[in-house]
Amino acid sequence: MNDEVFLNERIQVLCSFGSGLNPCVPRRFRRASGREIDVTEIGLRHPTVNGRRMVHVFDVTDGMADYRLEFDSERLTWHLTREGDRL
Amino acid sequence: MRSEPPRVARLEPEVGINRAIPTVMHIDLNSCFATVEQQARPRLRGRPVAVINRRTEHTMIITASYEAKAMGVKLGMRVRDAKKLCPDLVWLESDPPKYRYVYHKLLGIMNDYSAHVRMRSIDEGVIDFGDTTGAIAGRDIVDIGHEIKQRLRDEVGSAMRCNVGISTNRFLAKTAAGLHKPDGLDVITHENLRDVFAGMQLEDLTGIAHRNRQRLEQVGIYTPLEFLDADEETLRRVVFKSVDGTAWYSRLRGWEVDKRDFPLRTAGRQYVLESYAMKPEDVLKRLHHLAEAVGRKVRSQGLVARGVQVHARSYEHAGRGWNGAYWHARQMASVPFSSDQAIYEIAKQLMERAPYPLKEIGVTCYELTPPDDTQLHLFGDQLAHERAVVSAMDAINDTWGERTIHSADTLGTDMVKAKIPFGSTRYL
Repeated sequence: MNDEVFLNERIQVLCSFGSGLNPCVPRRFRRASGREIDVTEIGLRHPTVNGRRMVHVFDVTDGMADYRLEFDSERLTWHLTREGDRL
Repeated sequence: MRSEPPRVARLEPEVGINRAIPTVMHIDLNSCFATVEQQARPRLRGRPVAVINRRTEHTMIITASYEAKAMGVKLGMRVRDAKKLCPDLVWLESDPPKYRYVYHKLLGIMNDYSAHVRMRSIDEGVIDFGDTTGAIAGRDIVDIGHEIKQRLRDEVGSAMRCNVGISTNRFLAKTAAGLHKPDGLDVITHENLRDVFAGMQLEDLTGIAHRNRQRLEQVGIYTPLEFLDADEETLRRVVFKSVDGTAWYSRLRGWEVDKRDFPLRTAGRQYVLESYAMKPEDVLKRLHHLAEAVGRKVRSQGLVARGVQVHARSYEHAGRGWNGAYWHARQMASVPFSSDQAIYEIAKQLMERAPYPLKEIGVTCYELTPPDDTQLHLFGDQLAHERAVVSAMDAINDTWGERTIHSADTLGTDMVKAKIPFGSTRYL
C-alpha cells in the first residue's frame, strides 16, 4: 500500500524560531480549505535545492496524518506538497 | 676446523593474527532508506516499509525495514511478491535528497573524530583512528562508537540507528558491524576472532559470494574457520590463483589490505524500460536522456571520456528462463569528449545492433581522464565551440535546476530521472 497524495497547496504556517539543530519549527498550518492542523512532531527537516534556490523540507505529523511542508527560502512561501493519512 | 654453515635466505614467517589494538571503525546505517523514511514519517515506525525506485508493483525493493525483513521481505524482491508475504507492506518511492542529507550529517559527525574518514557508499563509512591517535588519546574507541550512535539520534532523529563495528582492519570492522543488527556495536580482536568466525557461514563474509564459496569448497573449505586455517599458498595457488589469495590470508587475520582509493574509470547510468516491446524511437529518447545524465556525471568530475559502451537486456530466451539476455557494444573515439551530444551520437550508433525487444538499457563512458589541453587538435575550434555550449548549458542547469535545458528529443522522459548512486559517493 502507498498512502501518499502529492499536492502543491499554498498554506499559511505559524513557526517559532529558536536555536539548536532545528531553529525553525512549524507549529501550526492552515490549509486552503481553512482547516488548521497542529504539528505534534517534526520527523525530519532537510534542505534540497531547485537550481540555486534553497527549499527546506519539513516532514511533520499531527498524530493522525503525515505531511510534507516546503519552505522556499527565496520566495518566502510555504507549500503542502504531500499528505499520507490512510495507514 | 669446521666452518659455519652458510646462511640461507629464509622465507618470511607466516603472518599471524594481528594483535594490535583495534583502531578501525565501520559505521553502517541500518536499512538506511527505510529507516530514514520511518524517521521522516513517525507513523511508519514499527511498520513494514519498503523503498522502491518506481511507483509500480512490478519494481524491485531496494531497501526494506527490519519489520518487513522479519516477515520475509528481501531486497530485490518485487513489490507484488512482497505483498503476498506481508499484506500490510507500505511502499514508498525513494527520495534521494533526504538520503543525501542524512549521508552528509553522518559524514559530518564522523569527520568530527578523525581526518581519516572514507565513505564506502551512501550508507556506510570507515573511520581509521590508526593515524590519528591524538584524537582518541585517553578515550576508549568503544565509547566513541556509542557516542556516534547517540549523536546520530540527537542530530538526525530519534529513530535513526546504526551498526558500529571495530577491529584492526576494514574487513573485520565491517564483519563486526554485521554481527548484531540492528543498532549493534561489536569489536573483533585477536582474542575473539575464532569465536566470531565459528558462528558464521562462508557467504556471511564480505566478498565471498556464490562463486568464491564454490572455489573454497572445491579444496575442502566449508566454514570461515577452515578458511582462516588454510595456508597462504593454497589460497594463492589453488583457490584464487592470484595474489587475491594472499590478500585474503592477511585480511582474515586482521591485517589491512583494503586501504585503497580507486580512481574513477567509468561513469554510467542504466534504466529498466517501463513497457515491453517499446518502439526503437522511444528507446532512443530514453537512451538520449541517459547520455545527458552520463555527460553531467563525467563533467562534474572534471574529466573527459575516450569511449562509450551501451548495454541492453533483451527479452530473448536466456537458456534458463526469460531472464533477459545481456548484450553490449563499445566504441573508442579518436578525440576525448564529454558533451552529451558526442556521447549520444556514439551510443545511438551502437544501439542500432541491439537485440529488440529490450527490457533494460544503459550507457557508460570509459577511459576517463583529465582533459589534456596542452595538445593541439586538428578540430580545435570545433571542440572549443562545443565546450563553450556545454559549459553554458551546465551553468543554466546548475542555476535553475536539473534539466532546465536539455535536448528536445528527451521531452517527456522524466521517468528516467536520477536515482540513488549506490556504489560511489562521488556524486553525493
